Amino acid sequence: MATRSIGRRLGRAVLTVLAVTLAAALLSALLIVAGTARTRVLSQLSKGGPLAGIQVVAAAPDPGQVDTDNPRPGQPRVLDEAARQRIRALTGVRSVVALISTPVRVLPPDPPLRGAPSGTPPDPFTQQMTGVDTAKSGQLPITVVSGRLPAPHSLVEVAVTESYLRHLQLPKQQASRVVGTEVELGAPRLFTGDDRVRGRWTRAIIVGVVAQGVASGDVIAPIEQVRTAQAWTAAGDPTGDTASPYSGLFVIAKGISRVGEVRAAITQVGYSTSAPENLVATVQRYLHVVEIVLSGIGLIALVIAALGITNALLAAVRERRNEIGVLKAIGARDRDVRRIFLIEATLLGLWGGALGTAAGFGISELMGAIVNHYLRQQGLAAVHVGAPVAVLVGGVAGSAVLALVAGTVPAQRAARLPARQAMGET
Amino acid sequence: MRVLSEATGLGVSVQGLTHIYAEHGNPLVVLDQLDLALRPAEHLAVTGRSGAGKSTLLAVLGGLERPQSGSVLVGDVDLARLDGDELAAYRRDLVGFVFQHYGLLGNLTALENIELAMTFTGLRTGPRRRRARELLDAVGLAERADHRPNALSGGEAQRVAIARALANQPRLVLADEPTGNLDDENTAHVLDLLASLPAQLGCTLVVVTHNHVVAARAARRCLLEHGRLVAVP
Ligand SMILES: Nc1ncnc2c1ncn2[C@@H]1O[C@H](COP(=O)(O)OP(=O)(O)OP(=O)(O)O)[C@@H](O)[C@H]1O
Ligand SMILES: [Mg+2]
Repeated sequence: MATRSIGRRLGRAVLTVLAVTLAAALLSALLIVAGTARTRVLSQLSKGGPLAGIQVVAAAPDPGQVDTDNPRPGQPRVLDEAARQRIRALTGVRSVVALISTPVRVLPPDPPLRGAPSGTPPDPFTQQMTGVDTAKSGQLPITVVSGRLPAPHSLVEVAVTESYLRHLQLPKQQASRVVGTEVELGAPRLFTGDDRVRGRWTRAIIVGVVAQGVASGDVIAPIEQVRTAQAWTAAGDPTGDTASPYSGLFVIAKGISRVGEVRAAITQVGYSTSAPENLVATVQRYLHVVEIVLSGIGLIALVIAALGITNALLAAVRERRNEIGVLKAIGARDRDVRRIFLIEATLLGLWGGALGTAAGFGISELMGAIVNHYLRQQGLAAVHVGAPVAVLVGGVAGSAVLALVAGTVPAQRAARLPARQAMGET
Repeated sequence: MRVLSEATGLGVSVQGLTHIYAEHGNPLVVLDQLDLALRPAEHLAVTGRSGAGKSTLLAVLGGLERPQSGSVLVGDVDLARLDGDELAAYRRDLVGFVFQHYGLLGNLTALENIELAMTFTGLRTGPRRRRARELLDAVGLAERADHRPNALSGGEAQRVAIARALANQPRLVLADEPTGNLDDENTAHVLDLLASLPAQLGCTLVVVTHNHVVAARAARRCLLEHGRLVAVP
């Protein structure tokens, strides 16, 4: 009640709260957007996969190039289950997913798209088919652009990438039109007797379009499908180059900071690795600068809002000298008066902070929706605009604390007013 | 006014009180070696021309202004020796103020204004509210409990202010031109209320006034002139 006694002038309180609201909205929106941009940009760098991802290829490391992000691999080297286990056991490794890659002839259906008129049948073309355990897609740099991933162990479902769309001269925006069509895949084998290549043809349904950075795959399929195709092709290869059970591994380290350590260990084991390690680190530094600048702008806004609170309360103190005097005349101590104004300031800050953080969240959701619309138009996967709880709680609590600080000067001034003011201006 | 306890008033002893305002360089001697002795429950009216220092005297007696020199004893409390918090406690527990402009807080209702005086004593909400209602009832304004000051007439506002001044059972009531803004009828009503305090509650009462009717009700009258009090027959 004592607080209400010196209570706010509605109009001014609304304006003051509004200033805090705007500032908090600005700051939280900036932080949320910056945070989203960070995850988005970084995940784009690691092609949608976990940031701490490392690609291992079935080749020996090129000794001169271990420190670069994308070294040229050395001599081919068999990558079998035993090697996979060894790498899995290295310290700093979170997960290892095996990949098999093999070339296939791809024959799109006629018509190549759902709903398109039939025309001249398209020619087959060669693409790299990569097999993975699609149940472990969370541990792989694969982003679904349209449709879904093939069901694990399915022998008839595949996902295609943008290169398939390019062969059909289809823009990325229309990715969804190939989903549901049937494609023929032929594993080639060279028959040494007559020097002719024959294919072992299978039919598959395209269930999704993905953006991916797993090895150099153009078609993504469950590992079983690729294994049979690879076996067929390998049987005709006199050099034995394709004899490696796995063509690569996708390793995730326990954190970006351990990528270097894990890469070195894998090099020790004897395989060539690549990771966008240095690039990620550089971009992270740039993003950090951007975040600092953005929060700087938000903080300046908050400081201006805080000055608004100070100003509004100073005006209240000036206007209410007589009432403050009366409070003292009926027994309020200096600290009681001070507390009244500090509570008042904190309430203004809490209100502004709560409204502002909510508004900031709303703004960033809206921006997220607009950005997602654009991303989908570009045939890219949508981003999730998430407000970290820390931003929401911090926005409210921070505004309140800032307001409290802003209220100290007016509160002190009020507390120091002579009690004689109760008798009116002299 | 049975609601108030039978507290006895406090005697006042002022000796050699001098108060000088030193605004803009040239000192203004408002109280000059002033002496005053009041018995418990005495009713004193102080008159004097504007600027004579009447409000200053009340401010010193009520602990709103520190005595600059001389001694001011209220009961056995030496006001010159109190620090800020002790002065606040003195105002809260022993003094009741009534101002010409009522001094009600515009954001609070009549009832809340009375309660406010008790919040600083740490009284809990229940008893506080009950006592505030009794006081409002005692000044005849039970129906106006939820009115804000700007919805009260001058006389009503001043009665609320008197109820508030009595909330913490003061021993010394100081009224600065309590009827200065009131018409004759309201003056009579407020005056009845104030004048009954020494007899009924044993409060020592000092009323500063320009109004002869108000002054006439006091048992003792003084004129403040040249910084000193002169008895008026
Ligand atoms: N804080 C102050 N600083 C400077 N001068 C002051 C201050 N307070 C009061 N005075 C001066 O002291 C003199 C006495 O003031 P005071 O208010 O006590 O007079 P008063 O007798 O109550 O007058 P009125 O009948 O007009 O209320 C006045 O001349 C006034 O201008
Ligand atoms: Mg005066």
